[in-house]
Amino acid sequence: MLSHATSCPVQAPVEHRFSPYTDNGGTTLAIAGDDFCVIAGDTRQSEGYNINTRYAPKVFQLSNGAVLATGGMYADAVTLMKRLEQRLEWYRHQHEKEMSCGALAQMLSTILYHKRFFPYYVWNTLGGLDEEGHGAVYSYDPVGNYEKHKWNCSGSAGHLIQPFLDNQIGFKHQLANATSLTIPQVLKITKDAFTSATERDIYTGDYLELFVVTKEGITKEKFELKKD
Amino acid sequence: MFLTRSEYDRGVNTFSPEGRLFQVEYAIEAIKLGSTAVGIQTAEGVVLAVEKRVTSTLLEPSSIEKIMEIDQHLGCAMSGLTADSRTMIDHARVEAQNHWFTYNERIKVESVTQAVCDLALRFGESAASEEALMSRPFGVALLIAGVDEKGPQLFHTDPSGTFMRYDAKAIGSGSEGAQGELQEQYHKSMTLKEAEVLSLKVLKQVMEEKLSATNVQVAVVTPISADGTGGYRILLEEELQEIIAQLA
Repeated sequence: MLSHATSCPVQAPVEHRFSPYTDNGGTTLAIAGDDFCVIAGDTRQSEGYNINTRYAPKVFQLSNGAVLATGGMYADAVTLMKRLEQRLEWYRHQHEKEMSCGALAQMLSTILYHKRFFPYYVWNTLGGLDEEGHGAVYSYDPVGNYEKHKWNCSGSAGHLIQPFLDNQIGFKHQLANATSLTIPQVLKITKDAFTSATERDIYTGDYLELFVVTKEGITKEKFELKKD
Repeated sequence: MFLTRSEYDRGVNTFSPEGRLFQVEYAIEAIKLGSTAVGIQTAEGVVLAVEKRVTSTLLEPSSIEKIMEIDQHLGCAMSGLTADSRTMIDHARVEAQNHWFTYNERIKVESVTQAVCDLALRFGESAASEEALMSRPFGVALLIAGVDEKGPQLFHTDPSGTFMRYDAKAIGSGSEGAQGELQEQYHKSMTLKEAEVLSLKVLKQVMEEKLSATNVQVAVVTPISADGTGGYRILLEEELQEIIAQLA
């Protein structure tokens, strides 16, 4: 009788789980100045309680002079970057000019929305200079909703840093009048923000990479964060 | 050329031993039968002017449409088999809208011209899997006028898919005379108003009928200002009257 039960199991539908996404953590930030833009991100790549690597840059310099900070799933971010670079090159060949930051912002939105039903699992922040030479920051969700603003922080420590930026960059809840910040001031605020976020968020740390976009070009700086 | 028909006249995509595509050359000839169209570029904008052949008093002149809008900042005048231009202008409009949708900016005049010319040599036989294409070359030439970040520009396209930029260009049956006149009268510092007058002056000289406000069509393309004024606009009959009054 018993052997009958084992040789003839209960009929049940076979289930297949499909989980194509993973969150590799990390934090990115972008701040627009009057005539510059700072884009930064940490370099830790995590998966659960493991650190895959301490140095996997997720802030990328694009060939048209803009900088893209990515968060979420690293593999999707790398693929998205390849597509963006390819589209930038096609645009260059077709229209004999560099794509402007505003055009790139719209294109990124359409690329993301075209994958509306199997999205790239990436939270993007785009930084650069607009047509008038002012700093510009655009932030996105994975399906291409986007918004232009003056500062933005997203990723695993986004909720820790964003209110700090609202206060320090946007002068929110301050009696002092808002003033234009200089590049050194913005860099200092960025480094402080990440140093503090590293203390509280296990997915943020190791190194901070900072890009400064000005009309003269792009400079890159590496800053040490705690590795615990 | 017309009397030496040969086997190379049969296939639309067959080169003759001298290296010519006869069907394309004939298509260029077809334009020389079309009504005259003139385009003039100035620093303030571009003028397009065409003659309308009102062949009968019973014909409603306003139904002849030979200048069309591609986008807010782009206009197009045509000569030749104007029905063929519908396919091309449709394509240009889609291309302009796609560009706006994808990049949130207005497409360049040269880019839209290139897009139209990409169609020009897509004729002949298509493979079974491909979408059916045009069986013969387009028998129409276009004057594409527009304003972009490089300023006002005028381009000319022909059935071979070649495009070139001009300060002033005439196409159609009266083009030889008209081009000669433009050559003499055009100067770089011309105002838009002067260009409007010149365009009709040139048409008047080459048209068989007497030029009037009903048998010509004029459009201007000017830079679009922050308040939304400017861009492509067909001139009203009253405005044409005013220009015609200055011709005498």
